[in-house]
Amino acid sequence: MSSTLVPVAAGPLVDRSLFGVYLHVPFCRTRCHYCDFVTYTGMEALRRPYAAALAAEAELAVAALGDAGRPTVTSVFVGGGTPTLLPPADLARVLQRLRGLLDHAPAVEVTVEANPETVDRALADGLVAAGVTRVSLGAQSFDDRVLAALGRPHDAERVGLAVATLRAAAAAAGRPLDLNLDLIFGCPGEDAASWERSLEAAVAIGPEHLSAYALTIEPATKFGRMVAAGRMAEPDEDVLADRYERACAVLAGAGYAHYEVSNWARGRRAADGFPAHASLHNRTYWRRGAYLGLGAGAHEFVPEGDGFGPRRWNVPGVPEYLAAVRAGRRPTLGQEALDGEQARFEALALRLRTLDGLDGEEAGALGVDATGPAATELRSAGLLAPGPTLRLTERGMFLHGEVVSRLAP
Amino acid sequence: MPTELARLRNFCIIAHIDHGKSTLADRLLDLTHAVSERNMRAQYLDKMDLERERGITIKAQAVRLAHTADGVDYVLNLIDTPGHVDFTYEVSRAMAACEGAVLLVDAAQGIEAQTLANLYLALEADLTIIPVINKIDLPAAQPERVAREIEQVVGIPAEDMLRVSAKTGEGVPALLEAIVRRVPPPTGDPDGPTRALIFDSLYDSYRGVIAYVRMVDGSVRKGDRVRMVAAAGVSEAEEVGVFAPEAVATQELASGEVGYLIPGLKNVAQAKVGDTVTIAGQPSVEPLPGYREPRPMVYAGLYPIEGDDFPDLRDALDRLRLNDAALIYEPETSLALGFGFRCGFLGLLHMEIVRERLEREFDLELITTAPNVAYRVTVSTGGTVTVSNPSELPDPGAIERIEEPYVDAMILSPSDHIGAVMELCQSRRGTLQTMEYLSEERVELRYQLPLAEIIFDFFDQLKSRTRGYASLDYEPSGYRAADLVKVDVLLQGEPIDAFSAIVHKDKAYAYGRAMATKLKKLIPRQLYEVPIQATIGSRVIARETITPRRKDVLAKCYGGDVTRKRKLLERQKEGKKRMKQIGRVEVPQEAFVAALRTDDGDAGR
Repeated sequence: MSSTLVPVAAGPLVDRSLFGVYLHVPFCRTRCHYCDFVTYTGMEALRRPYAAALAAEAELAVAALGDAGRPTVTSVFVGGGTPTLLPPADLARVLQRLRGLLDHAPAVEVTVEANPETVDRALADGLVAAGVTRVSLGAQSFDDRVLAALGRPHDAERVGLAVATLRAAAAAAGRPLDLNLDLIFGCPGEDAASWERSLEAAVAIGPEHLSAYALTIEPATKFGRMVAAGRMAEPDEDVLADRYERACAVLAGAGYAHYEVSNWARGRRAADGFPAHASLHNRTYWRRGAYLGLGAGAHEFVPEGDGFGPRRWNVPGVPEYLAAVRAGRRPTLGQEALDGEQARFEALALRLRTLDGLDGEEAGALGVDATGPAATELRSAGLLAPGPTLRLTERGMFLHGEVVSRLAP
Repeated sequence: MPTELARLRNFCIIAHIDHGKSTLADRLLDLTHAVSERNMRAQYLDKMDLERERGITIKAQAVRLAHTADGVDYVLNLIDTPGHVDFTYEVSRAMAACEGAVLLVDAAQGIEAQTLANLYLALEADLTIIPVINKIDLPAAQPERVAREIEQVVGIPAEDMLRVSAKTGEGVPALLEAIVRRVPPPTGDPDGPTRALIFDSLYDSYRGVIAYVRMVDGSVRKGDRVRMVAAAGVSEAEEVGVFAPEAVATQELASGEVGYLIPGLKNVAQAKVGDTVTIAGQPSVEPLPGYREPRPMVYAGLYPIEGDDFPDLRDALDRLRLNDAALIYEPETSLALGFGFRCGFLGLLHMEIVRERLEREFDLELITTAPNVAYRVTVSTGGTVTVSNPSELPDPGAIERIEEPYVDAMILSPSDHIGAVMELCQSRRGTLQTMEYLSEERVELRYQLPLAEIIFDFFDQLKSRTRGYASLDYEPSGYRAADLVKVDVLLQGEPIDAFSAIVHKDKAYAYGRAMATKLKKLIPRQLYEVPIQATIGSRVIARETITPRRKDVLAKCYGGDVTRKRKLLERQKEGKKRMKQIGRVEVPQEAFVAALRTDDGDAGR
């Protein structure tokens, strides 16, 4: 089920028509070699208390909204870690509590991330029953060798099985369910042929949505240590460009719209060009819409009147998280106040990630001349679409950072 | 009360940088009770420099010591000499103020090339040499070997050489006695028309120009109207005095004495080193011999990284010049670097000092082009033109002859490494003049070399091939014709004048190759392909291509990523500000600086 909501911003700094809730579930059975997310292996005994704490934190968070009023929730996203390590009933309870605390839009998008090997019929039924409208599966690759090199706990075949199971559960319940597949390119053990096969396999499965990311090596990961020790080479820039180029070609050929630097989706195009099956929750990030962040390590953005900020984030450790919530405190670790310049810079960078970009007026409000010399040069370099809007071309998607740093005042 | 000539002794200490000059000076200050025990501290005279920077006191270029021997009160003036090859002229003028020189040599290290060079200057100036072997307290000391080395050069018997330890004080009283006995008193006419030698001058923000003078004939009093012969200026002497070691004003300075004169001037160029001071109105006199205009040897372009800082750079150079008569500069424009200055320096050290002061004291961020020498070009239409900016070399068709400056270089090396040293000199177009063994272990090599071959990494190469033991000194020795060509470097077809260089034709390919390779590594990929070419005239001698950049970061950007991503982009944007635009190519200023560095071995020269 996709959202038919068309976001409306009053100025490019903030989109107040959107309000998301992000919930983080920091548990995994094993840690993948590239992963630097907030997640822990083990801690089985803490999983159920954690779910209860999420609900309790939700209450604290909504109470803290205070003057911001009672917004209507337009999207919910449960990420991790592996959210599907929580029993579906526990997950359902949290989502239910949320509905009790805040009104939800009738077409609210509810996404849960899942690992392919955790999906069985019981789980799928549970998710559908809990009101989940999107499931995001971490496929990463359909080459078993690459999956092993990445440290993934599943093989290629498992993804197809998980998808089939989810589709069946949704059909049985008569509920719509969008599926997303995540893919990573530039992996060890991958060559052009391997990536081509992964793309084709993903397309063959027919998800409504696809995300593809270049492998980034973070220092505090197994890959990071291997690179530092000289046992693994960083992915080559030109190879990554080749992979991304192939993704653009294959996915376009299969009817997916490249609506954000790393995201593709199917479906009818709205007036702003967005495909129907685009992720509304992620769009909330890119349009600087507000969202609550619940759970260990979760990030939150509930802007004040001026729309600048702040951004907040929770403690990453599960025991501290539990202790804080039990004591009736929001488990905040840090907060960043933003000034106008930073907020405008963020808005420029984020809005340019999506295919709708900024119109001339919005660009002006951010201090950018959409028809000035920098923009003109970028157009002649083929990175920006013809004016007067400020939008990346597909080539421009490759060089988003370059475009932003040239345009920003 | 002026001291009569017979009781004066003017001397300097010639020593390599680590051989103990400061410590010896401390001991002399001690023994002569120049500084009270309460105020005494290590490296006393050196530290006075720091205080001077805070405006508290004036640098003591010449310290007046009192010593009684055989019931007679003597005045010993210790005159400081700069030690570096860049400042040979200043050294020679300071020596002209002396009658004697203490040659201080480390008992473990032996003579170094700079010490030898200064020693030759002292011999040329007819100074009485008192060889002193220092650090005899160290276990590694080999005083006998060092004494023999010195004997070979100076011709003084090894037994006559003093052995001291400046650290413990051993032998230093004997040194004082030797100075009194062996160094002759100054000569001069106390009643004749005034003549004084300026052997150093500096600009002090509180006191104005301070000239360090050695009185030859007559005297100078406060209030006299003094005239500088070469600088041709007249002004009123605000103060005269001596250093004991702090500045002490006196009524007059008389023949034979050494001290300071504050001539009421604002610019050191008006009180030049080597110039003669006289009294206006007195009968005109022969100026003292040996005066020379400062002669730059090495040139470089100095450009502010931010074009807007050009006026600040100009002001900074103007201010530096107040205190540095040898610094010359002229505005110039570079297509690549914008507005800047072509500066002339006495040598690489001088250049380093100036650059560092500009960056540190005036807070300027600069790009310095590679140092180059000045070429004398005879053009076919007749006449010669001096080229101190390589990109200004006339077209090859118009050139009849190019001459480059040469130097006489003296290298001291351990005998084990002669082969490596000779190979290095030969690879730098050097011709061997003489080779002499100072001892079994040490050789003195004299080579004639083009200055251009020295000003890059010659010194570093010399050191690394001799495990640090060799030392180098050189002096200009005229111009010679050579087969030189100009190599240009082009980015996307546009020549970057800052990278043009005049090189010997045999080295042109290597230089072009090295520059192209270096730039390919240093310049980041652009949105378009960037060809790099090195050319001689229109002939391409080396080529590299920088392929266009195809991608940025292609990672996800969700809620928790925003802050980090924003900071990354902010840095990317900041990086752009530090770019120099050459045509369509964005070159980070770090790349410019790195490309113009001369201390990497693959510069190909």
